[in-house]
Amino acid sequence: MRMPFLSVKNIEKHFGQTAVLNGVSFDMEAKQTLAILGRSGCGKTTLLKIMAGLMAGEGEISLNGDSIHHLPPQARGIVYLYQEALLFPHLSVFENVAFGLRLRKTSSSEVQNQTEKMLVDLGLKEHGRKMPDELSGGQKQRVAFGRALIIQPRLLLLDEPFGALDVETRAQMQFFFQKVSQEQGITSVFVTHDLKESLLIGHQWGYMENGHLDIFNSIKSFSEDPRTGVRTEVDFWKKL
Amino acid sequence: MVKKALISVLFALFVLPFGYLLLLSFAGTWRYPTVLPTEWTWQHWTQLAGSGNWANSAMLSLLLASLVAFLSTVTGFLTAKVLSAHSKRHWWTILAYLPFAFSPVIYAHCLKFFFHYFALSGAFQGVLIAQFFLCYPFAFLFFIHHFDPAMQAMEDLTYTLGGKPKDAFWKVLIPMSKLALLICFFQTFLISWFEYGLSSVIGLGQVRTLTIAVYQYIGESNQFVAALASCLIALPPLLLLWFNQRFVFRQSTV
Repeated sequence: MRMPFLSVKNIEKHFGQTAVLNGVSFDMEAKQTLAILGRSGCGKTTLLKIMAGLMAGEGEISLNGDSIHHLPPQARGIVYLYQEALLFPHLSVFENVAFGLRLRKTSSSEVQNQTEKMLVDLGLKEHGRKMPDELSGGQKQRVAFGRALIIQPRLLLLDEPFGALDVETRAQMQFFFQKVSQEQGITSVFVTHDLKESLLIGHQWGYMENGHLDIFNSIKSFSEDPRTGVRTEVDFWKKL
Repeated sequence: MVKKALISVLFALFVLPFGYLLLLSFAGTWRYPTVLPTEWTWQHWTQLAGSGNWANSAMLSLLLASLVAFLSTVTGFLTAKVLSAHSKRHWWTILAYLPFAFSPVIYAHCLKFFFHYFALSGAFQGVLIAQFFLCYPFAFLFFIHHFDPAMQAMEDLTYTLGGKPKDAFWKVLIPMSKLALLICFFQTFLISWFEYGLSSVIGLGQVRTLTIAVYQYIGESNQFVAALASCLIALPPLLLLWFNQRFVFRQSTV
């Protein structure tokens, strides 16, 4: 039997008496995106934080067959991206992107080459010397992506990364994410509130409610579940 | 026009006390109801230049305030960092407010026994520790609000990018807190510089800081020398204010 690239088994988390995650389990193949939809407070962020190693939780997580659940966040090869770009305000765009390479003590020439190439790929070649507060919201998110991708993470966790952007920039960033994911073969878990975004970006879908995660391997099965809201959306447009 | 007049009035209100003190420091005699001193003299200033006591007091205050500010800022920063993630953060914050619930003199009298016991009364180290007891909670309260969820997210992000705790501390938290550290240092420096209650009770008048010297002259009704001492006391804060305006404020608005 083929081993899944990412395997998450029985993740549980309690805050006091309240259960936030109730035995969350799922498998994922490499180079795929799992889009998780769910309301605020359903446990999405907690799940991502446990996967990234930023929060303790019971259960088992393995990546490429290796158990990573006991590892600290810096040893997991998983990058967590927030809704805000969270660029380091004291560093230029170039240094923000190069940050992970510098942590790994990569040689200066290699940092220069890789960062310049990444800035070209991000369409930010001319902005390398700028400081984060000189960038637009979309540009900041691109830099945040570049900073994560340059260290070639095994898994990317995205917690509503486009939630703070306006409609137009959000659409551009969705396109950008799809393009980069495909080109670089990124495996990611993408949490969103936005139904259309989840349909556009995912290869596999999840719906989270009260700490339970249900996985759907096709758009059809995802659409047929009334909780996802796909049917309601379709009916709305049909009635117009 | 109104705005200009208002600014002039505010400026005058700000400058007037300093101008008044400077004027008094050059006065030989000044009796009510005359508006200006009837006799002028350089005597207080020349005495100051020739007296080692003043220089000693100024150096002592400078050393004390610098040490207290440095220690309080560093320890306040570190403990706030650790306790910001603590589940009882709220209670630690309330506890840190306690020293400010008393007047410094009452606080000093409460602590007096312990300073006597450890032979710290009347000693420089004693006054240093006593002032630290006041400045450290101030620094802690200053930084506990600095370590907010956004700061925590920056730290977490550093870990997922491959950084170790020392990387997060030196490459992210410290550079991002530079301005806050500088402001806290200035503020604790000023608290220590102007502190009187704790210094007089714990120092027993033997640790003669500039503030203690001023109060001694006021106690002796030597208003002209007291005015001169006040001018000297105001000098470092004014320099700090200028430094703030010139470098810190500019840096934060670029």
